[in-house]
Amino acid sequence: MNAASALSLVIVALAILLAVEAVRVARRWHVGRPASVDWWAGLAAIPKRYLVDVHHVVARDPYAARMHALAAGGLLAGSALAVLGLVPPLAGSRWLWALAAIAFLVALAGGGMVGRRRYPTRPARLSGGAFQRLPLLLVGYFGGALLVALDAVLDLTGPLGWLGLVVASLGGFGLVRLLADGPMRHAFAGALHLAAHPRPGRFEGERATALIPADLDAPRLGVAVPADFAWNRLLGFDACIQCGRCEVACPAFAAGQPLNPKRLIQDLAGSFKDAPPAYRGSDYPQARPVAGVSGPERPIVGAGALIHPDTIWSCTTCRACVEECPMMIEHVDAIVDLRRFQTMELAAVPAGAIAPLSESRYAEEPGGRALAARTDFAAGLPLPLIAEKGSCDVLLWLGSGAYELRHGRTLRALVELLRRAGIDYAVLGPEERDCGDLARRLGDEATFADLARANIATLGRYRFNRILTADPHALHVLRNEYPAFGGHYEVVHHSALLDELAADGRLALAAAPDGRLTYHDPCYLGRYNGETDAPRRLLDRLGLERVEMERHGKRSMCCGGGGGAPVSDIAGERRIPDIRMAQARATGAKTVAVACPQCAAMLEGVTGDVAEVRDLAELVLAAVEAAVPQGAPR
Amino acid sequence: MSRTRRDPREEREARRLAGSGRPRWRLDAPPTSGRLRRDPRREIDALRVAGTTRLRLDRTGRAGPLALPTIDTAAVAAPTIRIVDDPAYLVTVVPDAPGGRLAPLDRQLLGAARTLADAGGGAVLVLSFGQIDGLGAAGADRIVALDAESGDPSARAAALAIALAALQPRHMLLPESAGGGDLARRLAAKTGEALFAGAESLTARLATRPAANRRIEQRGAPPRLVTLAPDAHLPHAGAPHEARAIAAPEGRADAPHTGILSIEDLPVAADALPLAEADFVISAGNGITDFELFRALARALGATPGASRMVCDAGLMPRAAQVGASGTVLEASCYFALGISGAPQHLQGVARCEHVVAVNTDLHAAMVERAGLAIIADAQQVMPALIALLTAEGEE
Amino acid sequence: MKALVLLSDGRHPVSGRPAPAGTELQAIALARGLTEEVAGLYAGPDAAAARTALGHGLARLEHRRLPEGDDPLPSLAAAIAAAAPDLVLAGRRAGAGAQTGLVPYQLAEALGWPLVPDVVALTVADGVLEAVQALPKGARRRWRVKLPALVTVHPAAPVAASFAIGMARSGHVEDAPGIDAPQDGTALEERPYRPRPRLIASAAAGASAAERLKAATQSAGPGGRVMVDPTPEEAARAILEHLRALGVLKPAPGRD
Ligand SMILES: Cc1cc2nc3c(=O)[nH]c(=O)nc-3n(C[C@H](O)[C@H](O)[C@H](O)COP(=O)(O)OP(=O)(O)OC[C@H]3O[C@@H](n4cnc5c(N)ncnc54)[C@H](O)[C@@H]3O)c2cc1C
Ligand code: SF4
Ligand code: SF4
Repeated sequence: MNAASALSLVIVALAILLAVEAVRVARRWHVGRPASVDWWAGLAAIPKRYLVDVHHVVARDPYAARMHALAAGGLLAGSALAVLGLVPPLAGSRWLWALAAIAFLVALAGGGMVGRRRYPTRPARLSGGAFQRLPLLLVGYFGGALLVALDAVLDLTGPLGWLGLVVASLGGFGLVRLLADGPMRHAFAGALHLAAHPRPGRFEGERATALIPADLDAPRLGVAVPADFAWNRLLGFDACIQCGRCEVACPAFAAGQPLNPKRLIQDLAGSFKDAPPAYRGSDYPQARPVAGVSGPERPIVGAGALIHPDTIWSCTTCRACVEECPMMIEHVDAIVDLRRFQTMELAAVPAGAIAPLSESRYAEEPGGRALAARTDFAAGLPLPLIAEKGSCDVLLWLGSGAYELRHGRTLRALVELLRRAGIDYAVLGPEERDCGDLARRLGDEATFADLARANIATLGRYRFNRILTADPHALHVLRNEYPAFGGHYEVVHHSALLDELAADGRLALAAAPDGRLTYHDPCYLGRYNGETDAPRRLLDRLGLERVEMERHGKRSMCCGGGGGAPVSDIAGERRIPDIRMAQARATGAKTVAVACPQCAAMLEGVTGDVAEVRDLAELVLAAVEAAVPQGAPR
Repeated sequence: MSRTRRDPREEREARRLAGSGRPRWRLDAPPTSGRLRRDPRREIDALRVAGTTRLRLDRTGRAGPLALPTIDTAAVAAPTIRIVDDPAYLVTVVPDAPGGRLAPLDRQLLGAARTLADAGGGAVLVLSFGQIDGLGAAGADRIVALDAESGDPSARAAALAIALAALQPRHMLLPESAGGGDLARRLAAKTGEALFAGAESLTARLATRPAANRRIEQRGAPPRLVTLAPDAHLPHAGAPHEARAIAAPEGRADAPHTGILSIEDLPVAADALPLAEADFVISAGNGITDFELFRALARALGATPGASRMVCDAGLMPRAAQVGASGTVLEASCYFALGISGAPQHLQGVARCEHVVAVNTDLHAAMVERAGLAIIADAQQVMPALIALLTAEGEE
Repeated sequence: MKALVLLSDGRHPVSGRPAPAGTELQAIALARGLTEEVAGLYAGPDAAAARTALGHGLARLEHRRLPEGDDPLPSLAAAIAAAAPDLVLAGRRAGAGAQTGLVPYQLAEALGWPLVPDVVALTVADGVLEAVQALPKGARRRWRVKLPALVTVHPAAPVAASFAIGMARSGHVEDAPGIDAPQDGTALEERPYRPRPRLIASAAAGASAAERLKAATQSAGPGGRVMVDPTPEEAARAILEHLRALGVLKPAPGRD
């Protein structure tokens, strides 16, 4: 028996230990509710989902991508080769051990990179504790195994091989110990999460951002205790590698509100265990005190529980965390599930959300305003009612912004553009109820479902080709969330339609006066719907000098206006729109173009040295007006 | 045909306001020429529908008597007191009169009572709990002082029930206010009288009131017991009435309700008032730097302090002081804004304030546009000047 | 301790859809602050709005079925007598109908109970209710009354709980026939509502300074007086004068 074959045996032993631990980990997910999972398709798709979808996210940080490829690839290849050493014909093969040595060398480089990232100083987004020990164990296992392999290749006699074996065994054992409750869990849970992901559509090229309807006939609505989560959600929480990418992306975290998506996922991963390991990453900013108790049947949210209510109400549902998560975890789903229980079972909503929810229910409009007053903004502009026309080409969905002075200007510009382009448009007028976005994000699925059904019934009475809206929230709800309630529509955002009209030459644009401009992507247009190009194409048609903020497109930062955050109004240290406006100013732009009533309201609420906030429709109308020679007939 | 010659000097003298050292004249009194001049602006105003910023006029003519130019005989000539000696019937009025002074609604109530009384030679009789000033000028013919010892409204209602039975008035009017409304309902429940609650117009033949969340108007001949909504009737503008005190009707009141152990008014300081209920709010924005001074000014003015979100965000004022969409929506009658730009979310909080006073360095601030009085100046300097002026007055 | 909250067949003031009246929901919240045992009571034909109140924190609703237009009073009085609560809470005005706010008073009279109007806070100790009444301009009055008692709730009371469909579903409705009490139709004629102009005293002798200014500023329309760059003293004088004319500031001492 030499060190090499001993290493092979040790690795087999570790693998058995690993399997035992894995079973223990998996059994914990069993407390969750059943979920329908297409196992065969899922398992078969793991390589593709890993190599394409996960890599797409990981590769945004090239260092991390390389580090992970080296360490994980080397680990798997080296260990597998070493185990092959037990197969009689290969036993003692120098070639085999040479290959293993190369694999372990590669892995060692990866392990070194893991260490390099954390020492001498650990970035704030990374966790300490066991995570800080991880590079030592990796280097131990890889280095030790490398020695053993070299020993086998070079036939060295002496203690070096045995020394390597001891170090590798210690390192390997340490790594296995980190499976159940340490950093290594992500490997096992992460792989299974790819197979059993609750939104498989994400891997099929869909945006898959629609909230999943709650079962309103369930005995308990929403999630109160960990056991209320589907088991594959619990699996998802366990997949978190605490990379902190979500933390960096989260606007609420940046504003010092008590939300940190990374910590939240860790709390949820610990929630169904009786003694979860200590969390060693950055905390919720201004963390509110909680009792910190956990267990599969213990309540999750509450000062006397694990997560403070302010944490879940701070979220703007911007999905930046989901977009950044390499483990494909669905933070927003979890937050909305938790909110659903708070709202629909306990009525425990933030004070500011009570009135909008009540009004959504009793007046079908979150401001409690008369539905007929929605068209007041038009002030003389022709706004035909579809009830009078019966049918039209483009049905203009006005949204709740229509009641606000600011968005009224945008809508007037848009209507004027439609008129000039000769579009056959109409509005629902007093028949347009709120789309239900606010109620749904605040967890009131019942009110949302009522509104959705009522709107779908109304829309079903008329003929139109597509729905146009200047509100990305309404766009998302109508396009992606109404289908689950039986409403299927072609919905187009005004940026896309105006771009189309300009491309067709139906709107003649003159070059706008120069001035630097930057475009702020609305979360519900960019991230939720992947529409980042049309607005930019449209702006570029105006001949403006367009500059990008560092965070833009699908990785843009939220204005703070979504998910009911403005009405929940959870106190932080800063305001999200202030941060975003500072980013816009940092580009030197004089104007920030927006494409959403919420963004306009939030960014216009910023005081001091600010860029002018203009909606795309306003900018386009200015260019169209500039294109009409003075005195020419319109 | 001879025409009376006008003497401008004499006409002006007639308008001289009494009591001030400097000569001051009433400029809005109608000319003494006898020819009635129309004031189109005032007529339009009278038709104006309240509650909208856009000008909307009610031309239906259902608005009851409008604010026509009234000949202010009291101010012009020596007051002649009108006496109704032998009234055909009584119209009783129970004013709130907090602190013994008629509130605006009380005066409107007396005006309505006069309309009802003058329609058929009736007299207006005030049932008062405690001494009330100025009843004659407000149109009262008789005054009956009722026992005011108990602040218990159920005891007062019992006293009113006795008066109702003894005097048999054609109408008994109460203000639709917190106190009057409560009293009227107690009385209605006690006596079984029908109550016409919150009349928005009131004549001898017809009263109207809103119902079903102002979707329906109920109308009919006013019953005996009526409460009057604010600003639904003009105060009495004619000659003062006699306001003769007469003895209270005899009758034995029931023993007060034994369930009521005590009723006491709680002291509430202006700066401890809930913002939503305060009547006068002074508010600081980003333009204010000295908050000690600001609070001192609030105290000196007796106003409840508020703030914009910028100020609350900065921790300079408590969150509870925030005015606006995500703070408190005010019901105050006057809002005094110092260094506040008037962002839409902030203005939503003052939408229901009738009067706004603004101090701002920026002439184009939205708050300046909203204000009835706007001072374009540094608020930091206006604040100490205000305090100094108030202190100087106090020492005078 | 047992509390009963009177509910009306409310309608939303803007949309006209069934919705419980705001102060009735606040009454539920106040009652729940005192006791676990809170039930709702509604007498009338259709309990749509009253049922939604279950979602705002009521565990139980007693519905006394009545034909349309019947007087609810006898049914309510009988139901209260049968339930024998310690406290009955009502909203300030019903959420629909004539909205005279008379029913709680008639009930208190019929039951012989004390009534505290416009309460914003309640505590109970040894069978004595301490209730804080809201008066205009933020003033407060404290009542101590023996239970059983009836209170009406003021809009300044703590905010009501939001609607939770889970509670609405688990809430229990007890349906029983009420006591028929046909009313001889209201003698009042009804028409669609049209707002009436507010009548403001202009130069009437009876008008106070505040009323005269109110009249003056109301006719001045939007946009008011603007003083550009006055000295601080000028500004201060103008402001005080204005505030006094509005009547929000007491007259200067020694002057009228
Ligand atoms: C969703 C949302 C909700 C919001 N809700 C609220 C809310 O409820 N309440 C609220 O207040 N805001 C709210 N805001 C914020 C609002 O948009 C404004 O940012 C805020 O009201 C501005 O406060 P300000 O007027 O004090 O500050 P600024 O806008 O900075 O205005 C300061 C003003 O002071 C003047 N000034 C400066 N120096 C002086 C001086 N020495 N003397 C006199 N004047 C001076 C300036 O001319 C300026 O007009 C909300 C915003 C959003 C997006
Ligand atoms: S949730 Fe995802 S992005 Fe956030 S720390 Fe965990 S793995 Fe990273
Ligand atoms: S959705 Fe946005 S606000 Fe919510 S946790 Fe994720 S990043 Fe933060």
